Amino acid sequence: MDDRTVTDQATRKRFGAKTALLGAAGCVLLLFPLVAPNAYQVHIINTAGIYILISLGLNIAMGFAGQYNLAMGPLWGVGAYTAALLNTRLGIPLWLNLPASMVAAGLVGGIVGLPSMKVRSHYLAIVTIGLGEVINIVLVNAQGLTGGPDGISRIRMPTLFGFPLDSDKRYYYVILLAVVVGFLFARRILRHRVGRSFRAIRDDYQAAKAMGVNTAYYQILAFVVSAVYAGAAGALYAHLDTYISPDIFDFNSSLFILTMTLVGGMGSLVGSIVGALALPILQEYLRVIKNWQLVGYGVAIMVVVLFVPGGTMELVRRFRSSRLAGRLWARNPASGKVRVGETDVP
Amino acid sequence: MFLEIESLTMQFGGIYALKEVSLAVEQGEIHGLIGPNGSGKTTTFNVVSGYYKPTSGSIRFEGAGITGLPAHKITAAGFARTFQNLRLFSSMTVLDNVLVGMGHHAKTGLWREILNPAAVRREESRFVGDAIHLLELFGIAGLADHPATGLSYGEQRRVEIARALATKPKILLLDEPAAGLNEVESDELRGTLKSIRDSGVTILLIEHDMKLVMGVCDVITVLDYGRKIAEGPCESVSGDPVVIEAYLGKEDEP
Ligand SMILES: Nc1ncnc2c1ncn2[C@@H]1O[C@H](COP(=O)(O)OP(=O)(O)OP(=O)(O)O)[C@@H](O)[C@H]1O
Ligand SMILES: [Mg+2]
Repeated sequence: MDDRTVTDQATRKRFGAKTALLGAAGCVLLLFPLVAPNAYQVHIINTAGIYILISLGLNIAMGFAGQYNLAMGPLWGVGAYTAALLNTRLGIPLWLNLPASMVAAGLVGGIVGLPSMKVRSHYLAIVTIGLGEVINIVLVNAQGLTGGPDGISRIRMPTLFGFPLDSDKRYYYVILLAVVVGFLFARRILRHRVGRSFRAIRDDYQAAKAMGVNTAYYQILAFVVSAVYAGAAGALYAHLDTYISPDIFDFNSSLFILTMTLVGGMGSLVGSIVGALALPILQEYLRVIKNWQLVGYGVAIMVVVLFVPGGTMELVRRFRSSRLAGRLWARNPASGKVRVGETDVP
Repeated sequence: MFLEIESLTMQFGGIYALKEVSLAVEQGEIHGLIGPNGSGKTTTFNVVSGYYKPTSGSIRFEGAGITGLPAHKITAAGFARTFQNLRLFSSMTVLDNVLVGMGHHAKTGLWREILNPAAVRREESRFVGDAIHLLELFGIAGLADHPATGLSYGEQRRVEIARALATKPKILLLDEPAAGLNEVESDELRGTLKSIRDSGVTILLIEHDMKLVMGVCDVITVLDYGRKIAEGPCESVSGDPVVIEAYLGKEDEP
């Protein structure tokens, strides 16, 4: 048997294993609401799904394009309020509010991104925090429109061909579909020219310009795309919780989203899923430390930034290339190379 | 005239990095730009390639004014450059570095990704083919999937030139491409420069390595303290007493 047949077989075997794994994961995902012990656990997962979308958005802007968008919480709010208003005032259902929220948040996101023309990295982070606060203040103070601090209630859950999606277990499938589409879309755009331009800007802004990358366009685009994810998440959230108020979308929520994205892994889409699943679930079970949560985020951010800049996904990569993993799976050593700062666009 | 720089002045605070420098580059030549440290060579590149807006003066390329255009538009007009201090995209592979350079010829963007993914895939495979071909020309196709960091200095220099050529430029601005290269690599570079020129790309070359400059350049312009002090074919410039005093004398003879 020559080398090529061996590799072919190995590839086919790995491909088979991958398909099997994907199939199994698909079954678990589809059956989850049916086997979950109670509706509350499905609710937690639904919330996590909404955070996955926002975290994917932040990861595209920050992890891939290096654009520090720390207004993600308020942008999520723009999406939520757009959907809530369209639904409560005009009776428009989720299916139409979803694209409307994406457009509204995308537009506001583009504006939030304008300072990226002038300032970079942590300065940009600070400016976007400020702009996020402005959005939040508008939500609080535009009482006539937004209901002020009381928020908007009685948002209706959607129906599908007359079938009401009026419980967490039913709504779960809407969120699952949105997350799958959001993930695949992110993976697609990051694989080719758009993703390369993003990463070029992140790695070396000046060199990117010399390579003909229209840096201004791609910087704003990164903000818009991240905001569109937040907007979609906002519409889904409004129609799930049926009640929204401005305090949900304040700076703390931006910080929460930042933490989950960092913990999961900057520059890794899978990392966003890991982080956005882990943190809301942890938060749920760590309610006792309520007032200490902010401290927790701070510590988590610090530990990640200082010791594992690639987050959980970097730990996974490190483990896979370690000797222990080598013994467990007898992997081809070359394929487990650790590359610091590597971005996984599979 | 192909590239025509006229009376270019670049002032930083009180310092004149360039003072009324005029320079003409003919199509198809390798034009050397030399001068002592701090004489304004890199500044010339930065102004021409759109990084700085000049204090005064004008730049024309193929008859059209390009003064003050943003850098990516200058690239679109047919310029490509390398940097004195290597500036590869460090988290990306060698292949991706080159593909970034191909990007501005792409017809696909975000909308095509959504509306016509098949077209994107076709374009992508064409780009990858072209990029690999380019890497083969530089003898680094084997490094295609290697991260750009962790290459040797010479390899990084080659990647940077390949990446610049990926934009399919009409004129290539090279800022000290031989810096950090050993004798052998430097000789190889001479061949590379000539074959780039022979493929129809004009070259403007900043270089301190006089052996290389004298070996490849058709014309040389000499800067000193931001002013042009000499211009002409290699022999006349290297014999010019003004140049020898400003530059060669100080550098070559102790
Ligand atoms: N952005 C800037 N701000 C202020 N001064 C600058 C700037 N860029 C260049 N200069 C100054 O302009 C002068 C010319 O610098 P330049 O980098 O063009 O020299 P050079 O000929 O490329 O030198 P070297 O051979 O060392 O690379 C120097 O005095 C430098 O300090
Ligand atoms: Mg220089």
